[in-house]
Amino acid sequence: VAAKGQMTFEVLFGRAIHAIARISDEFSFDPIEKGLALRSVNSSRSAYAYVFFSSMFFQHYCWTAMSQPCQKEKQLSLPCKLIIKSVLPVFRCVNVLERNVEKCSIYTNINDHRVTFQLLCKYGVVKTYKLTCQECDPLQAVFAKHMCPNILKVHSRLLADIMIHFPTSQEEVTLSVTPMKVCFKSYTEEDTDFSKTMLTEIQLNPDEFDYFQVGVDSEVTFCLKELRGLLAFSEATSVPVSIHFDVSGKPIAFSIEDMVLEASFILATLSDVEKETASQQPPDFSQKPPWDGIAPNTEPNTTTTFNCNAGNICRWQVYFTRRHCKDFKVAKASEIINLQILHHVVSYFYKCCIFQFHSLFFGAVSCKEDAISHTFHSLATASDTEEDFGNVQTQHPKYWCITALTELVQSTLL
Amino acid sequence: CSLLLNYERQKSLCTALVSESESTEFKEVSVSCKIIAEAPLSSSLSFLLQAEIFQEFDVQEDSVTFRINLSVLLDCLTIFGTSALPGTPTALRMCYRGYSYPLMLFLEEGGVVTVCKINTQEPDELLDFDFCSTNVVNKVILQSEGLREAFAELDMTSEVLQITMSPDKPYFRLSTFGNAGSAHLDYPRDSDLMEAFHCNQTQTNRYKISLLKPSTKALALSCKVSIRTDAQGFLSLQYMIRNEDGQICFVEYYCCPDEDITDAAL
Repeated sequence: VAAKGQMTFEVLFGRAIHAIARISDEFSFDPIEKGLALRSVNSSRSAYAYVFFSSMFFQHYCWTAMSQPCQKEKQLSLPCKLIIKSVLPVFRCVNVLERNVEKCSIYTNINDHRVTFQLLCKYGVVKTYKLTCQECDPLQAVFAKHMCPNILKVHSRLLADIMIHFPTSQEEVTLSVTPMKVCFKSYTEEDTDFSKTMLTEIQLNPDEFDYFQVGVDSEVTFCLKELRGLLAFSEATSVPVSIHFDVSGKPIAFSIEDMVLEASFILATLSDVEKETASQQPPDFSQKPPWDGIAPNTEPNTTTTFNCNAGNICRWQVYFTRRHCKDFKVAKASEIINLQILHHVVSYFYKCCIFQFHSLFFGAVSCKEDAISHTFHSLATASDTEEDFGNVQTQHPKYWCITALTELVQSTLL
Repeated sequence: CSLLLNYERQKSLCTALVSESESTEFKEVSVSCKIIAEAPLSSSLSFLLQAEIFQEFDVQEDSVTFRINLSVLLDCLTIFGTSALPGTPTALRMCYRGYSYPLMLFLEEGGVVTVCKINTQEPDELLDFDFCSTNVVNKVILQSEGLREAFAELDMTSEVLQITMSPDKPYFRLSTFGNAGSAHLDYPRDSDLMEAFHCNQTQTNRYKISLLKPSTKALALSCKVSIRTDAQGFLSLQYMIRNEDGQICFVEYYCCPDEDITDAAL
């Protein structure tokens, strides 16, 4: 059934199961005339997953194959419920599956309460798994996607690249949109101790999306852990991901759809998300910076060094050489810096706003210089010593420079 | 008698031997050294080291047998650590004076010598499975590569592993019956993994999965495994392990069936 270059059924099915496993311990297995539907809902009813493989996806799809005596009746087969733990071993190692499995067949026998998975593997080995299932009522989430004011469509690769920046322990993520920009950031509770947390924020331009529609500014917070399964699945299919959502409190749907399969993960969002505070306000300079910055010299072609102590979290020594002193043009870093780390650092500082950059010149050390060269950001700040603390420039250039830097790093990364 | 063994490579084999048994028998015969470990009275694992593996092999009598504690033996053998550093071979000399004397182990690595004395005990009556080649009903030899994954993925919620061998389909089948349902692994007789296939009669036997699991360590090290059953359904697994010098050791495993199921219904 797989065309050249496409993933085979067992790999996709395996990934679908792994994705659903993030939601719940069991799922409903529902073969219908048009295809095979898998559905799952989590225990708190805050996440619903739906994966549908159309009959065209299969080499051979026959939903009356089990010659039931009740063939003539309206309801030919009830959906049945399978335990994820019993199905996962069948598709345990999805990467290995691709190499070893030549064909996968699924049979259902409702009378016997069994679903049989049969894998034809390398060397002629045949693996047959007869799993017990229970009858269950079909689940369905009612969610009118077309009524959502906000719709984004993005390639699954890009979405995965965004989410990879969040640590795996990050439970919740906030998606914030305006007609001008899109932002994914870590969600934190009110009482979070910022000095012990790393916060990540990723901003995107509307033109990075295949489709961008923002009818109402909104900020929705959803569970990232539950979404990760769908991300892995959609990467395997290379189908773009559509995101439908409304204001906070209303569900958000991540879905993919192509000719032979579709999948939707509908997640509840937090209501009454706390408004952004620190990031919109100017940084608090009443505190001493936690770093022992070295006053940068302003000679051209010299190395500027500063050390940043971000609380107890990290200590960064960043070296830069300056190409021009006056107009703060983009310069080259004299030491290759891991851009991702720098981005994390910058995002963190951005949130915490408890430090200031002295002279910071940043450029991508890569062949992408051409792309960056026109983005001259005035990144430097005025204050050289601690005494200048009180003379903070208007417009809070430090704040601005951080945003600009974030965007710069972001555009380089992506 | 004394045996000198360049032990480095054999270390992995020896550590693989540890199962749930408490004592192990050393049976040194003039041509080979056989270490036999017995698990709960229904299975037996033995490790056969040919004389050629040893640099010196000097056994005065025809056969010498004694019993020692396996975990103590293992602790001594791994006194320099369990991982073999490349380029620093460990030499092992085993000496046994005779009845009532302890087994002496001299281990040398990098100039450091350790001497271990392990008390020996009366050898127990060895379980004689009476499994001789003439009683074999069915036999297959498989490349271990094909079985490793299967054994690693065995459904441990199943109490038994059922082995079906037959001149007809499914030829060679491993089955488990766990909480989730049943799982069957079929190996066709013409598979590339099947080195030899001699099945005369359809047999289905069940073995306690807890007894078979320990032998998977030997499976991991082996290149081939021979699986034989006799008329009573006793199972013999022989793992052929080839070390880096090309020398061959065998690990033999015998197990008695859990129940007798002689019908071919599957």
